[in-house]
This record gives sequence, C-alpha cells and structure tokens, in this order.
Amino acid sequence: MPDALLQKLRTTVGAANVLTGVELSPYVVEGRTPEAAVFPGSIEEVAAVMVLASEVGSPVAPWGGGTAASVGMPAGRAGLVVVLSRLGRLLDHEPGDLTATVEAGMTVETFQAALGRRGQWLSLDPPDADRATVGGVLATNACGPRRHLYGTARDLLIGVTVVTADGSVVKGGGKVVKNVAGYDLPKLFIGSYGTLGVIVEATVKLRPLPEQEELVRVRFDRLKDAGAAVRAVAASDLIPNAVELLDGAAAVGAGLAAGSPPGGVLVVGFDGVREQVDWQRAELARLTGPLGGRDVRPLDAAAWSRLTPAARTAFPTPAATMALAVLPSQVAETMEQGAGIARGRGLSSAWAAHAGVGVVRGALASDPAPKDPAALAAVLAEWRELARAGGGHANLEWAPLAVKSQIAVWDDPGAAGRIMERIKAQLDPRNILNPGRFVAGI
Amino acid sequence: MSTLTDSRKRELRRELESIVGPGAVLSDPDELMVYESDGLTLFRALADFVVFPTSAQHVSAVVKLANRENLPFVARGAGTGLSGGCLPTEGGIVVSMMRMNRVLEVDYDNQIAVVEPGLVNLHLSWKVGPRGYYYAPDPSSQQACTIGGNIANNSGGPHTLKYGVTTNHVLGLEVVMPDGEIVWLGGKTREACGYDLAGVFVGSEGTFGIATRIVVRILRKPQAVKTVLAVFDAIDQASAAVSAIIARGLVPAAMEMIDQLTIQAVEDAFSCGYPRDADAALLIELDGLAVGMDVQAERIVEACRESGAREVRTARSEAERQLLWKGRKSAFGAYGRVSPAYMVMDGVIPRTKLPYVLRRVNEIVAASGLRVGNVFHAGDGNLHPNILYDPRKPGEEARVVAAGAEIMKVCADVGGSISGEHGIGLEKADFMPLIFSVADLALMQRLKSAFNPRGLCNPGKVFPTKKSCVEVGPVAYRPHAIEEKGLAQRF
Repeated sequence: MPDALLQKLRTTVGAANVLTGVELSPYVVEGRTPEAAVFPGSIEEVAAVMVLASEVGSPVAPWGGGTAASVGMPAGRAGLVVVLSRLGRLLDHEPGDLTATVEAGMTVETFQAALGRRGQWLSLDPPDADRATVGGVLATNACGPRRHLYGTARDLLIGVTVVTADGSVVKGGGKVVKNVAGYDLPKLFIGSYGTLGVIVEATVKLRPLPEQEELVRVRFDRLKDAGAAVRAVAASDLIPNAVELLDGAAAVGAGLAAGSPPGGVLVVGFDGVREQVDWQRAELARLTGPLGGRDVRPLDAAAWSRLTPAARTAFPTPAATMALAVLPSQVAETMEQGAGIARGRGLSSAWAAHAGVGVVRGALASDPAPKDPAALAAVLAEWRELARAGGGHANLEWAPLAVKSQIAVWDDPGAAGRIMERIKAQLDPRNILNPGRFVAGI
Repeated sequence: MSTLTDSRKRELRRELESIVGPGAVLSDPDELMVYESDGLTLFRALADFVVFPTSAQHVSAVVKLANRENLPFVARGAGTGLSGGCLPTEGGIVVSMMRMNRVLEVDYDNQIAVVEPGLVNLHLSWKVGPRGYYYAPDPSSQQACTIGGNIANNSGGPHTLKYGVTTNHVLGLEVVMPDGEIVWLGGKTREACGYDLAGVFVGSEGTFGIATRIVVRILRKPQAVKTVLAVFDAIDQASAAVSAIIARGLVPAAMEMIDQLTIQAVEDAFSCGYPRDADAALLIELDGLAVGMDVQAERIVEACRESGAREVRTARSEAERQLLWKGRKSAFGAYGRVSPAYMVMDGVIPRTKLPYVLRRVNEIVAASGLRVGNVFHAGDGNLHPNILYDPRKPGEEARVVAAGAEIMKVCADVGGSISGEHGIGLEKADFMPLIFSVADLALMQRLKSAFNPRGLCNPGKVFPTKKSCVEVGPVAYRPHAIEEKGLAQRF
C-alpha cells in the first residue's frame, strides 16, 4: 500500500483508527493479511474511505463481527478492511411504531437487549449474536430457527443506508413498515456479502416479545419418521415458531439427546400466551406419537442457540460444512442420502435442518482425516447434486481453501447470474468491494 | 405517441399475429381505448397494439420484436392499478397477461403454488380454499386484480399488518427480461442463490421485465378468527387505540380505520350496522389458535375502552363478521353515492403520527373547499384519504391534485412514504424527490440499467422527469370504459 494512501486514511479517520502490521492479525482470513484495517467513526468517514480506496482501486472488505469472514473466496489481492465497530449506536426506537433504526456495527445481542428493555425484539436469531453485527447479519443473510414463523432479513429490513464503491451515501426503503416507493434496495443488499456496498445503517420492523416461549423435543428411532412428523406439523393447526430436524450425531453434539444417539430428533418451538404454548405442546405429542415420536419434553432456553450450528458442532473440528436449500418435504430424505454419500466414501457426517423451510446443513468429520482434499470435494459435489436434483441449490459454508479450490463455494445461479454480474458492474464498476468472494465470480 | 406509419403498423400487426395468433392482437383505436388508462383515470395514453400472449415464449417473441423495432412495451394485468403504472406513455405494445391465468401447480406439502401472472388474486384462494389454504396478500381489488399486477406494485391489503405484503409471499419468478431472454429469479426453495433478484423484481413496477410464472406461498387458514368493531366519538381516540393495542404487545391480523364520512356513505349504501353518528370506527381482526383467542380479544377490547371507545362489539357469527368487513371493503364503492367522483390517495406514516397527520389531511382538504373520507390500514400507518369532488366543476380536479401533493408532503415530512401499496407509476414520479436524494435515485437508475438497459420496458415510470408528453397529463375525469360497462369499480 502506498504510504500516501495510508497517510490520507490516518488523516480521514484518525491515526489511532488505522491498524497495520502485526495489529492486523484479527483480520487475517485464510492466511491472507490485509494491508490495513480502518475504523471509520461516522457515515461520512466511511464515504471518505471508500473514495480513497476507489481512487487507487484498492479492494475493500466491509467487516462487522468477523463471524462470517471466511465464507466465500478470499480476495485475490490484499486491500483494506473497513471495520464498522465504531458505528454502534441505536439511533431510534419508537415502540409505538414497532420500528428501530440502528447503526450497522452494533452487535445483535446489544441491539436485542436495548429493544427488550422496552418489550420488543427483532425477530431474527442468527448464531454468534454476541459478536455478529446488524450490518454483518444483513450482508450475509444470517438467521436462526425462528425464521420458520418470522422469516428472514428480507421480511424485516424496511430501510437501509449504504455507502457504495464510489463513496456515495445511498438510502433505500424508509422508516415505515409498508412502503412501495422506488425499487426495493433493502432486498438487493441483504445477502450480498459486501459486494455491492457497505451497509452503515438499518431500519427494521420489530415485534412484541412473546409472553411465553418454549422449545419442545421429540425423539424418533428413525429419521424418516421424524421427517413424516415435520410434514404432519406443517399440515396441522399448530403455529410453531421453529421446526428443526437433527440426526443423531447433531442432536448428541448439541446436547439435545442423552444416551445412545436417536435416529432423529424433532425440535419444535412455540410462543404466545401460556394456554397457547401448553395446548400446542400437547397437540405436538398427539400428532407425533402415532408416527413413532416419544419422550416429548421441553428443552432449556439455552438450546435455541445450539440449533443452527448443530451439524458443525457435532465434530470438534469439522472438515467442511454445506448449506442445502431444498423443498421442506425433501428434508429428511436429503439428510439420509447425504449421510449415505459420506459413508460411501468412508466419512462420517452430521445433519441439522430448519426443516419447515427446507434449509439443511451437513458437516463432514475430519476424523478420520482424508489426506486428499479431492475426497472431501467429491462428497460435497455429490451433496450439491442432491440439492439440485430436487430443484434446490447448495453453498459451502465453511471449508479449507484447499477444498474450496476444488469445488465452487457458491452454487451456479444459472441465467440469473448474468443479471447479477450486470448489477455488480453497475454498482461497483472498478470491482473493489470484496472482489471475487461471491457467486458467479462476483 | 405512435411514430409508426399506417402501413408499418399493418405489417407489424401481421407479425404480432403470427406470434400470438390472429385473435390476440388489437390495433383498432376503438379497441385500444379500453387500455388507455388504469384505475387512475386521470392519465391516459394510447398504445399501438395490445397483444394477448398465452406463453412465456409468446411474451419473449413479442419483446424481441419490440426490441428490433425500438418500440416500448408494458405488461398489463386487470388494469386496476391506481398510479398509471401500466400505461403505454410512449405508444408501443401493451402486453396483456389476462389470457395467462392458470394455476399451474399446487404443492400442499410444501405450501407453494405456481401460477401465471394473469390469475386473479382471489381465484388462487378459491382454488386452494377447499384444502384449508389461502393466499395471504388481499388488496381491496382482489376480486379483479391479478397476481402479476400485485408483483409489479408489491401490493398489500388489510391483512398485511400481520402477514406482510406480496414480496413476503413470492419465492420465485420466471421472467421475460427486457431483451426477451427467459430467466428464473429465485425458485421454489426459500433461499435465493446469489443476490435476491426475486425480491428486487417484486415492486419494480413492470420496469425490470415481464413475469410469466410466479411461485407463491400459500398459508394454512387460521384455526380461529375474531373480529371486533370499536366505535369512537373522536378520531383521535381511535388513533390512540391503535397505539394502545400495539403497546399491549398485540399484533392483530388487521386493524382498519373508517371515518364518519365513510361510515355514513357505507350505511347509506349497504347498512352494515356501523353507528352513523360515530366520528370513527376501528375494525380489528385477530386470527390464529382458538385457544387463547378470548384472552387476546379481551385485551383489545380493554385497550379500545381505555382509549375512549363508546362501544366495542365482537362479531358473534361468520355472517356478522362478513357484514362488518362489507362496510370496510365496500367503502370505495359507497363514495359513489355521496360524490360524483373521488380520488384515492396512498401514503404511509409512522403509526404514532396518526392523530397529527389525520388532522393535517382534513385541514388541507377543507382549505381546498373539498371533502375527504378516510378508510385505511391504521395498523401499519397506510393512509387512504379519498378526496371527493365534482369533475364537471371547473378547477375542482386541479384542486384535488394540489391537495394530494400537499398530503404527500406531510407524509414525507413526518418520516413516512409517498406510497404504501399503489406504486409510483406516473402519478407520483415527480414526488420521488420528497423522500429520495439524487444519489438514492441514481442508484435505482443503475439497478434499472442492469435489468432494462435500453429502457424500452415500461418507460416513463417511477423516476421524476421533466420531459413532457402531450398525450399524458391530468385530463377531466370520465369513467373508464370498463367502469362504464360495469366490469369493474375503483377500489
């Protein structure tokens, strides 16, 4: 990095807010060290940093809590990490409007705590909420089990402020819960992995905190039967806020089943007033009993945060994890077939799903460690084919670089990929925002 | 504004007929007039052709022809839109989707349906209703409007308070791009692969392409429904009740407000049992599990009474519930009894600003020497002031338009939006700078360029323009052709 640029960055954000050299170790991704980490203290400073970066064509990686930093391909050339942690204020929370506006660098946990003090919450429960930031969660479209009832970021984000590659500060959406004026820019930036702009501020829809909430676990001897139970729940009058399916390995790893691993575990969440939760727990037992469900019991509230990462946490250090999007009716079969594919190549795997919405995660064990990344890549490629065969797709959530170089991280978006490329070219013509990290080589 | 010679027009007509069939092209000015405006009859523009494709391949071939000829084109559903969004402002081809109206697939296990864009919104709920399912977005025009049109405008409706708007129910679309290529955006699964192009397409007002297949979610009908009517002597009390209900942690499925003028119009027309002397009424609906419903209903009643409701009534039967909803849903029709014409406004404000904004709306309209009826989605702050006027009186229509502009400014000033569900279209294009900066609009233009680089797909909409077009602009009200034939009313 030219000294002149470094000097300009220091002048822009203050010397204490520019890290270089050994101080960069927290921002090393896949063994690659950025040239500098910059901590802007305002939207204007983010804009000024983007202007400087775009002048010299330096790559920029927006950085929230770093919890998803290794997702995707690392940048081909080193550049700036723009850390949003100094943009961490709650700007506005009007309980009567059920909306709040927050700076992108606030952690989800801090945000929820502030909302909770006034009886409300953002109905989004991504993993690592203590470190993940609002901006990062939006950029990676992170979510958790409660998406079953409350949806994902696309259902909650009503306004967004973004600094684009050329340093423009751009707003999309607004501050009201219903709004069709102009194009839906919030949707564009959700899940865009920092390739279209730096999210600096967000306005979200809120919900009142439920009076009661409960997670209920049902054990099954066979995963297939647990899958049938998922379908029975979907076709019933129940209104669960989570419907999770885990295989034995994931259930044991997440501490959701003691003793010998069950064939499958169904975990269902309910919220509402007391009578509603009680009625639904009883109804769940009634529905699942004839399908082989047994040992129906409430789980500790701490179990919520163990559900989304349950496949990965089944192993001390997994070799790779993949997220498969399939139709909800295919979930149990996908898990069984995926495990079969791994076994066929001498590997064990663990599986967990947001079953009601068809999002399945598979993790490959590193023990016995395959010497050849090609063996891992072969299993992952077959998993992807499994998802595609049912009309879905699959992305690598985590894998070593050696594996990522053998199998594409992101699935092929097909003809839509060309539109994505055109959007990227329009918004970031010099290709400086997370270049090469995302889908279709974007 | 046609630039085609008569002989060229005849040649193109023959070519279009070779694509979509001989009975599927209109080019006679008398026939084209039916398509010169949508539900907002203020704006009119004539196309050169209206075509009725029955497949994505038809649409693609028509769009490719339009590109070759450099002709603008615009998709059209039932024409119930209220912002002039589907008008052929620069001539060219109107692509009517009304013959692509099939339900192609219903997958109850996965709670999705694949439909064609010309399908009437309510017909999907009819189709899946016998199995206990429904399609949640319920614009007031749902008996006539199409799901394709709902996609263009990201339409809402009374029940979107709890269930969200169209975009929350669309998983994927097959789209004919503005260059004629057929592309899937999203699909049947809940996660997008790459950018959320389906999410970006919904609400793009027909400027990003033409949807030819749509994957939507269908929902299980709720086990129980409870409908409450709360009657107030002061509209401020009704506004306060909305906030009080939210403050108690309740999210009803719908929360609609009806003001005195509207109540009286509705009672004159339909006798739905609303008290004529009330200043305002709130229609509140809860749905969900049967168990616990009474507890929640009691809290609603309590919140209304504490806010000053003089009467709170719960529908005791489905017939009573239907009657209460009839009062709400037929409000627009009822205005016809008290005024020769009216214009529907659409703005959104933060709920907590309701008392202030409603007062301002009444002041603005009164200062124009006109009357206003309010019937709207109070729960999500989506106002629909309906300004009543007589188009035969010189200058009245201009005063309506001016008052509407002032109301939009009030919505923008309190941090709201200039459209909650009707779209920007032609009507509000010049209001966009009220809520968006030059940079905001520039980014939207870039996004448009990625989808629609030549600008032939529904030109002249959404973005403010100084360009004048002599054939488009406020003209004296006259009923739309389909209104005259009794085929539709304005919702």
